Amino acid sequence: MNQWIAALRSERIKLGRSQILLLAVIDPLLCGAIGLFANIPGTEEGWLALLLVMSLLHAMLFLPVMTGIFSAFVCRYEHAGGGWKQILSLPVSRNALYLAKLFVVGGTLALNQLLFLAAVLAAGLFKGFDLSLIPWELFAPRLIGGFVACLPLAALQLFVSTMWSSFAAPLVLNVIFTIPNILVANSSEIGPYYPWAQPMLAMMQAGGEYDFGAFALPLENLMITVGGSFVLFLAAGMVYFNRKAV
Amino acid sequence: MTEMMIETRNLTKKYKGTRAVDALNLAIPQGEIYGFLGPNGAGKTTTIRMLLGLIKPSSGIVQIFGQDLRRERIKILRRVGSLVEYPSYYGHLNAVENLETIRRILNVPKNRIDEVLRTVGLTKDAKRAVKGYSLGMKQRLGIASALLGSPELLLLDEPTNGLDPSGILEIRELIKRMPKEQGITVLVSSHLLSEVEQMATGVGIVNQGRMIFQDSIPNLQRKAGSEIHIALSEPDAGLITARELGCFPRLDQGKLVFKGIGNEEIARLVAALVDARHSIYRVEERRKSLEDLFLTMTSGAGATAETNGEAGTSAGGAPRAAGLPKEAAQ
Repeated sequence: MNQWIAALRSERIKLGRSQILLLAVIDPLLCGAIGLFANIPGTEEGWLALLLVMSLLHAMLFLPVMTGIFSAFVCRYEHAGGGWKQILSLPVSRNALYLAKLFVVGGTLALNQLLFLAAVLAAGLFKGFDLSLIPWELFAPRLIGGFVACLPLAALQLFVSTMWSSFAAPLVLNVIFTIPNILVANSSEIGPYYPWAQPMLAMMQAGGEYDFGAFALPLENLMITVGGSFVLFLAAGMVYFNRKAV
Repeated sequence: MTEMMIETRNLTKKYKGTRAVDALNLAIPQGEIYGFLGPNGAGKTTTIRMLLGLIKPSSGIVQIFGQDLRRERIKILRRVGSLVEYPSYYGHLNAVENLETIRRILNVPKNRIDEVLRTVGLTKDAKRAVKGYSLGMKQRLGIASALLGSPELLLLDEPTNGLDPSGILEIRELIKRMPKEQGITVLVSSHLLSEVEQMATGVGIVNQGRMIFQDSIPNLQRKAGSEIHIALSEPDAGLITARELGCFPRLDQGKLVFKGIGNEEIARLVAALVDARHSIYRVEERRKSLEDLFLTMTSGAGATAETNGEAGTSAGGAPRAAGLPKEAAQ
């Protein structure tokens, strides 16, 4: 535990003045613009409609792509300057280091999600929606579920990023698998198991007759799949990292 | 018996059938500067990586501070400082921040950063991004990182790589000071015999993954054997004068070359040559190069012939006939 905290504090320095947080801002800004231009009435359902409209781009494209970028980023500076051999020669276990990196990725994604919420609220306020009408009981599961649904992908991408010394290769792989999201989500059989589509499935359940394909799956069931694949990818990544020759 | 800081038994690393490191037995006592010598690709870096647990040995045991590396890796690494192959750095950070990433894991006081920066002479450039550093400065930063945790054992892989002559001298002096001032044991790898000779107390020579020599530096120098080259006006006549004194040199490009010859003998020889009205241009000592040493050490037959030859020249008499053709062959 102490090693993990030490590794985490060390990661904090390495992120330093890097511009990675700028990326976490672009997504809410673009989605906010979409929200502003959407033609939604300011009723009680308006907030949810706004969230869903803005979620389309955010959850289908940005979240999975960002997950890949953040994962590749925390490995990039280690690959570039021979950091792996230095840090692994220090008294820190490989598991602690790996989990610290995953935590950084998770933390950045959480921040991204918070900024997205801020963008939704800002867009709503700009349209003159009533803040007191926000249906938090509908917002919370979608926002938190969307974040949690990113974690298996984060574990998978971190695995690939530690394995490949190239920064671009894991990103290309990630984008290639992100693009078919809209198609995969239509399939109730593959969709829930597809890590790139999971954030979208968690955030875009509209309720009732609007749900089709994999969207019809209840959030609880989706979360079981998400939890299972997270454990699987994390275990695979850590087994690999522990054996990795540096 | 002195405590062994590093001890390996039959340490082996195989890569797709070839043995990069083959049954290596290192033994490094406390307070030693151990020169780990070998040509490029001899398995030096592979060995150091195994000592740090960066790669797993195919077979064999590593013990550091008398503890098994596999079981006590974290505890051991807390007391070891290392620089492997080329310096590691985070280019977007400056030197202080680079050291801070390590300090937070080692959990040492913050003023250690200033201390090690001063030790390696980087204080002036501490606030510059490391990507703008020259190779020599990165190397210094790497050494600073290795020193940060006040280690008891330092593993330095070619630490003078990329440094200019004054930098090499500085680092060499720094390494030599460590056992004296702080009782640190140092393993320093190099492919240059002269460098190891100048700072190490013990030496291990590896070739193709195998340890071919492990002993103290004086013993290595004895084994390497120096030759005395005498350049003079009439080498053929000089050869006869030398033989009359019981020395059997070979003739090499107009020079008399003596092997395994003592100070007294040289003095007598030079006096005799001067008496015989030779003009002596040069009397110089030539060390065998590392390559020659490897040749004698790696080819088993050559090594035995070598010792015979030396015995022949010093003892004189009967083995002379055996010694001469060998010298002629060289």
